Amino acid sequence: MNDFKALSEAVNKGDNKTALVEVQKSLDAGSSAEEILNKGLITAMNEVGDKFSKGLIFVPQMLRSAKTMQECTNLLQPFFQEGDITSKGKVLIGTVKGDLHDIGKNLVSMMLEGAGFTITDLGVDIPPEKFVEKTKEVKPDIIGLSALLSTTMPAMAQTIEALQKAGLRDQVKIIIGGAPVTEKYAQQINADSYAPDAGSAVNKAKALLGIS
Amino acid sequence: MGKSLPVFKPLPPADVRRIDQASRQILKRIGIRIKDDAILDKLKKAGAKVDYHNQRVRFEEEWLDELLSRAPSKFTLYSRDEKHNLPLGEGEVHFANGGRVFRIINIADGDYRLTMLKDIAHTATLVDRLEHIRFYVIACQAHDVEPQYYHLNDFCNAFNNTNKHVMGGCDNVEGVRQVWKLASLIAGGEDRLRKKPFFSVITNPISPLTIGPNAAKILSFCAIHGIPVTCASAPIAGATSPVTLAGTLAQMHAEVLAGISITQIFFPGAKVLYGAVPTTMDLRNMEFSMGSSEMGMMSAAAVQLSKLYHLPIRASAGVTESKRPDIQSGVEKSFSNLMVAMAGADCVLLAAGMLDSGNSVSYEQYAIDNEIIGMVYRVLSGIRVNKETLSLDVIEQVGPGGNYIMEEHTVDCMREEFFYPGLSIRYNFDIWEERGHPDMLSRANDMVHNILTEHAEGKDGLLGTDMLREIRKTFPEIKNI
Ligand code: B1M
Repeated sequence: MNDFKALSEAVNKGDNKTALVEVQKSLDAGSSAEEILNKGLITAMNEVGDKFSKGLIFVPQMLRSAKTMQECTNLLQPFFQEGDITSKGKVLIGTVKGDLHDIGKNLVSMMLEGAGFTITDLGVDIPPEKFVEKTKEVKPDIIGLSALLSTTMPAMAQTIEALQKAGLRDQVKIIIGGAPVTEKYAQQINADSYAPDAGSAVNKAKALLGIS
Repeated sequence: MGKSLPVFKPLPPADVRRIDQASRQILKRIGIRIKDDAILDKLKKAGAKVDYHNQRVRFEEEWLDELLSRAPSKFTLYSRDEKHNLPLGEGEVHFANGGRVFRIINIADGDYRLTMLKDIAHTATLVDRLEHIRFYVIACQAHDVEPQYYHLNDFCNAFNNTNKHVMGGCDNVEGVRQVWKLASLIAGGEDRLRKKPFFSVITNPISPLTIGPNAAKILSFCAIHGIPVTCASAPIAGATSPVTLAGTLAQMHAEVLAGISITQIFFPGAKVLYGAVPTTMDLRNMEFSMGSSEMGMMSAAAVQLSKLYHLPIRASAGVTESKRPDIQSGVEKSFSNLMVAMAGADCVLLAAGMLDSGNSVSYEQYAIDNEIIGMVYRVLSGIRVNKETLSLDVIEQVGPGGNYIMEEHTVDCMREEFFYPGLSIRYNFDIWEERGHPDMLSRANDMVHNILTEHAEGKDGLLGTDMLREIRKTFPEIKNI
C-alpha cells in the first residue's frame, strides 16, 4: 500500500519537482489517479490549510503548496473520465484602465489559482474594450476587477457597462476589490460581489459559483 | 541644528559598497525596463545599451558614473518666503507630511469620508503653522475636482495656504505642465521660477525594475524646466522586491540610480533627489506594512547609499498601519522618524498626517506628528558642551544643598536646553483631573481647531487679491480660489 508520504511531504514543502516525480512513481506503481488525488494531494493540502490557519506557515508557503497541488492535478487530469477535475471555474482578472497597481490583484490571482480556479490575468491598465474582447474569447465564469486609486474606480463601472452593452453581463459574475473600493460601491455599480482581501476573494468566488 | 549628523548608520561602510556593487550589477546585467520608445531613442543617442524588443536599458558602469557625476550634490528647495528655504546636502534634516491619500478620519465622531479640495487647503494651512513640518506635500486627492485639472487645483490651493515649499506627486506630464505654468505666473516669469523653483515633483518607478512612460516623461519635463524632481522607488520587500533587506536595498538603489541618470541625460545638472520608500509585506497574511522596523532600517540605509554618490535624499518615515492616532501610530512613527533623521536624510517625507498605510490622514495627526518631529529635532541638536553649559560657576555658587531655580544661568540657558512640547500632558494628576482628563489627542484636536478657525478669519489667502484675480483670469479651471 502506498501511504503517499513522500508526495505529501513534497506538497507540504511546495516542492514542485519532487511532487511531480512522486505522482508519476505512484502511477507507475499502479495507484489509481483517484487514490493519488484523494489520499495524496487532497490530504496533504488539508494539512497545509490546517497549518496555515494555525499560523504555523505563511502565505508564500501556502501558495507554493497550492501551486504544487495544481500541477500534480494537471498531470492526473488525463486519467479522469468524468471531465475537468482541475478547475473550479475560470476567472478573468485585471487592474482597470488608468491604474498600474498590481500587487493586490496578483495576490488575489494566486490565491484563486491555489484554490483551484483557472486564471487569465490581463495585467494592469486594462480598458473596458479589452475586458469585453477577452470575455468573448475566454468565456470566464467570473471577472475580477481591481482598482487601487479612488480616481480609477469609475473605470470599474465603465467596464461593467461595456460588458452589459456587449450582452455579456448575464453570462458572468463580477467581483471587485482594492483599497478604496467598498461593498457599497460594488452594489452601486452592479457588481455581484466585493472582497476586502485575497482570502475573502476566494470565498466570494466560490459562493458566486455555488461551490464550497 | 543637526550639524553633527549622521549618527545612525545601520550598514558598515563595506556593506554599503557591497550593496552598491550589487545594484551596479543589476543595472549592467539585467537593466531597467523603460516603457516608452521615444525615451529609449533618446537614451540610445546618449550612449545607452538599448534592447528595443524587451524595452530594456542596460547601464555600463562608466556611463552610469559619468551621468551620476552630473547630478548636483547640493541645491535648495526654495520657498516663497525665503525663511523657509531648505538647503539640501548641508547636513540638515527637513521633515514633511505625506501625500495623495484618499480618505480622511474625523476624530470627533470617528467617521471617515473621501478627501476634497478643502482638505488640501486645510492641511496646507496646518503645515504652514506647524513649525517642525518644514514643507508641504499635496496631502490628498481632491475628489471634487475633474481629473484633468486636479494637480492645478491642488497646487493652487497649497500655494494660497502656505509659503513653505510645496512638493507633490503627479500622475502625468500634462498635470506638471499646468502647475509649472501656474507657478511661473506666481513667480513673475519662467526664468524667475527656474532660478528659485518653489515647488517640486514626485514620480515613481514601478518595482521591480520598471519605469513607465508617465514617469519618464515627468522626469524629462522637470529636468528640462528646472523643477526639482524625485523618482522615488517604493519596493515592498517580499512582494515587489526580495524578502531580504539587503536584496531590497540593492534593487531599490538600482532603480533610483537609473531614474537619476535619466534626468541627467535630459539636462546635465538637473536638480534631482534620491527617492526611497522601502516598505515590507507581513508574509503571515500578506498585509502591507509601512510601519515596520525594517522600513525605518532600510530608509536609514538608503541615506548611506545616497551619500555614497553625494546625492541629496528624500527618504521616508513616520508611517503606520494604525487607522487612528493611537499607541501603535505613536510607536511606529517615533521609531522610524528618529532612525531616519539620525541617519542624516536631507528630506523625510510621509512623516506627518498619515495613518492607515498611507491611505488616510487626520488633521489631529498633523499636530501630533509635529510634536514627535520636534522631539526628533531636539535629539538631533545634541548635548551642547562648553564652558557655559558645563556650569561650573553656577554649581559653585549654589553649592551643596541649594537649588537652581532662580539662578540667572537657568534663565539664560533654559530655552535652548529643553524641547517644550505643546501637546504632551505634563500636568500632575490632580490638575489633569481638574482639566477634564485631556490627552495628546484631545489637545491636538483643540490645536487644529484654533489654527483652522484663526485661518478662516483671515482674508484672501497668501497669494493676495491681485494675484488671485490674475490666476482666476488665466486659469478658469481653478475652483474655490
Ligand atoms: C477582483 O477582486 C478583487 C478582490 C480583492 C482585491 C482586488 C480585487 N484587488 C485588491 N484587493 C484586495 O486584496 C488585496 C490583498 O489582500 C488587497 O490589495 P491591495 O493592493 O490593497 O494590497 C496590497 C497587497 C498591498 N498594497 C499595495 O500594493 C499598494 C500600496 C501603496 C503604497 C502603493 C504602491 C505600492 C504603489 N503606487 Co500608489 N500606492 C498606494 C498604496 C497605499 C496603500 N497602502 O494601499 C496608493 C494606492 N497609490 C497612490 C497614488 C496616488 C499613486 N500610486 C502610484 C504608483 C505606485 C507605485 C508604482 C510606486 C506602487 C505600485 C507598484 C505595483 N506594482 O503595484 C501612482 C499611480 C500610478 C497609476 N496610474 O496607477 C500614484 C499616482 C503616485 C503619484 N505619483 O502620486 C495613492 C492613491 C490615492 C487615491 N486617489 O486613491 C495611494 C493610496 C498612496 C498614496 N497615499 O499616495 C485588497 O485591496
